[in-house]
Amino acid sequence: MTLSTFSPINELDTQLKCTHCDEEAIVPLYNEDDSSLQNPFCCVGCKTVYNVIHDKGLKEYYEIKNNSATYKRRSPVDLKKDRFKYLDEPEFLKEYSYQKGDQSNAIVMEFYLEGIHCLACLWLIEKLPDFLPDVKLARLDMTKSIATITIHSDGHFSNVAEELSHLGYKPHPLKRNESTEKLRKKEEQKTLLKIGIAGAASGNIMIYSVSIYAGADGFFLTLFSYITVILAFPVLLYSATPFYKSAYNAIKNKSLNIDVPIATGLLVGFFHGVYNLILGNHTNYFDTLTDLVFLLLLSRYLLNKVQEKGLTANDLNFFYQSASVLKRVENQWIETHPKYLSHGDEIKINSGEMIVADGFITEGKSTINASLLTGESIPEIKTIGDKVFSGTLNIDQDIVIKIEKTGNESRLGHILKEVESGWIQKAKIVELTNRFSQYFIAVTFVLSLGVATKYLLAGNPALALEKTLSLLIVTCPCALALATPLALTHTLTRASKKGIIIKNDEVIEKLSKTKEVYLDKTGTVTFGHLKIEEFHLLKNPQHSIFDIIIALEKKSLHPVAKALKEFAAEHGGKVHFEVSSYQETLGVGVSGFINNHFYEIKDSKIFCDQEVIAQFILKDQVRKDSKLAIEIFKALKVSPHIISGDKEEVAQTVGRQIGLKENQVFSEVSPEKKLSIIEKSDHALMVGDGANDAMALSKAYVGVAVSGSMDISLRAADVYLTTPGIVPIADLIIISKETMKVIYRNLTLSLIYNIFSVIGVYIGFVSPVVAAIIMPASSLTVLISTLIGTKELNKRLKV
Amino acid sequence: MEIIYFLLPLCVVLGFFFVGCFLWMTKNGQYDDLETPANRMLLDDKKVELNINPSTRLNKERK
Repeated sequence: MTLSTFSPINELDTQLKCTHCDEEAIVPLYNEDDSSLQNPFCCVGCKTVYNVIHDKGLKEYYEIKNNSATYKRRSPVDLKKDRFKYLDEPEFLKEYSYQKGDQSNAIVMEFYLEGIHCLACLWLIEKLPDFLPDVKLARLDMTKSIATITIHSDGHFSNVAEELSHLGYKPHPLKRNESTEKLRKKEEQKTLLKIGIAGAASGNIMIYSVSIYAGADGFFLTLFSYITVILAFPVLLYSATPFYKSAYNAIKNKSLNIDVPIATGLLVGFFHGVYNLILGNHTNYFDTLTDLVFLLLLSRYLLNKVQEKGLTANDLNFFYQSASVLKRVENQWIETHPKYLSHGDEIKINSGEMIVADGFITEGKSTINASLLTGESIPEIKTIGDKVFSGTLNIDQDIVIKIEKTGNESRLGHILKEVESGWIQKAKIVELTNRFSQYFIAVTFVLSLGVATKYLLAGNPALALEKTLSLLIVTCPCALALATPLALTHTLTRASKKGIIIKNDEVIEKLSKTKEVYLDKTGTVTFGHLKIEEFHLLKNPQHSIFDIIIALEKKSLHPVAKALKEFAAEHGGKVHFEVSSYQETLGVGVSGFINNHFYEIKDSKIFCDQEVIAQFILKDQVRKDSKLAIEIFKALKVSPHIISGDKEEVAQTVGRQIGLKENQVFSEVSPEKKLSIIEKSDHALMVGDGANDAMALSKAYVGVAVSGSMDISLRAADVYLTTPGIVPIADLIIISKETMKVIYRNLTLSLIYNIFSVIGVYIGFVSPVVAAIIMPASSLTVLISTLIGTKELNKRLKV
Repeated sequence: MEIIYFLLPLCVVLGFFFVGCFLWMTKNGQYDDLETPANRMLLDDKKVELNINPSTRLNKERK
């Protein structure tokens, strides 16, 4: 008989925000001396960091944080006791640190920091020299989350890394291959220079061109024409080189892209101007052409800048090995970097740590959570002789592992390699504008032939040449080339403010064509951690059952214990009791005496003096928005699937819950099998979060990593979400379709302008003045059309 | 109209001057990070007053 049944509480009446990370505090924690409950925390990690910051006298951090707009959403601090001693090893320093300029008393190292999210982080990081004597200078790049730390030559990077980790920013040292880094910077500076020169020249040319159009004559006309030609030289010969290169490459590969007509227009315009000048004729199109170069370069630069925010798939491996491990050397445990491990070494993995190499257990017994590697939601117990894999989490006991495979040889290493290669091999699509440009070129070609023939037949070869050249120049598809980058930049910028980071502009077009979506189960459709689904109280114990649960499970790190604690705290459980002769039996449960009664929690039951007093059912719960998302997918005619590494039964249950048919659920799929399913499918959108999804993410038509994903998935995917839930993915498909609508509209508008200018050339109406009006007008039209967007697009992207 | 003999070269010289400035700024890395400096200037430069004796709360917590 059931006395009473408790259901999980989903919505709390009052939402408490964590003082540190602003995440909702479902089970608020407070400092012991915080009697008025002013500062709730969502987790122990955030609370600890808050106290560290306060105790150092850095409480200004919270003032700055509360007064500044959030830059990036951050998640609760996941405090791990990482060791960083390896950072001081000379061998490591040699590879990862460098000296800046002529300062021989300082060493520099760069770190990627997890959890950078607002102005206050900048403040805290750059204040490092004030409270850490080792540090000379600390600089943070907020966009990339990279901190450049300079220390005195007698200082230690391990101190810095420890301090950063205490403050809640997990540091990953970055290997600065200085030559490639310098090359990248130089490349970007060159682009900027090209834009700057084009801008300055086109601005100055405009002064003289306007004077010419206004009727300058005689000496001034000659002088001004010469000045425009001189100013146009660097633009058309230096700034415009990217267009010539791209056009040349396209032709070399026997294909056409939008840069082919642009390059043609520019070159023809250049020769036309110089030729006319030699003839003493003062018509040229340099004002229009230089303007065009400036606008196009700028729009492409901005589009690139927006995409830079995403994490790339480079140097993946290192992210899994940024804490040292304990290696047995002559019966002592020595800290070392996972890089220096090899076959046959014995390493100790403490509870709560990630396993860093494949091998088998030689000492100890523990629960291993492999969900990130395989997708199985229930942790398994492994004991001496059992194989364990790198990338899995050791939950409750310390174990010793004898290594069989490390680094690239391990299963995780294999996945990492596949991800990197998948990213490189990813099929490129021929973008809409470029497909379009083929017809455009054909039509322009026919038209120019027409014009040439018309005037040749009329017996005027000079006029025929002039008119044909003019036609090629005025049909130079400026607005057409602007149409796509403008619309994409606009969408990408607004999407990133909404928490959708798009790393690759092609994604928008690809997404609009998606036919199938494959959702990973654990962590994507579901929360990825166990929760209590049903709780039946069978007999009232002496004290509140929730207080008893909290007391018993206080020390346990097991997922079941976590779920129970969370559930008990939601129902008002507090820490009241001391447990005597507490015992945690691995794989069974916990037991202990409270007020002379013997309590036990095992087999999803709670016992009091050997009698069952409560029963509960645990489940990895489906996210609230999953069902809604599936409905939106269906409405968009995108067929949804679940693809999971978990057991058939579990996957099917989840599938039924969110309204999928049995044949739409793939279960017990290995990472390799996931990849092959995705590869077979046409235009598949893959959504996942774990290492087991990473290969499929990197090779899918479009890969999306959801919020809370492992770093490897964030890097493998084309898009990642920083807000929880999967409805944003459905939104993303709508956004893409709407953006494509804007692009089509832009292309149509720019075509209309082009048709007008061609007609103008035919009837002999087009001159440089007209071109100077039409060209900016068409670009402006495209810009306005982009800014207006569509109603649906603005609705979805509203912040 | 004589003024134009003066204005014209001035225009060109000014133009070159700014292009030169731009070159210099780019080479100096002023455009490498467009976001952080804008935020950085909002922060005060003053030294923080540090707690020399961290409270016992933290020590308890760390245990």
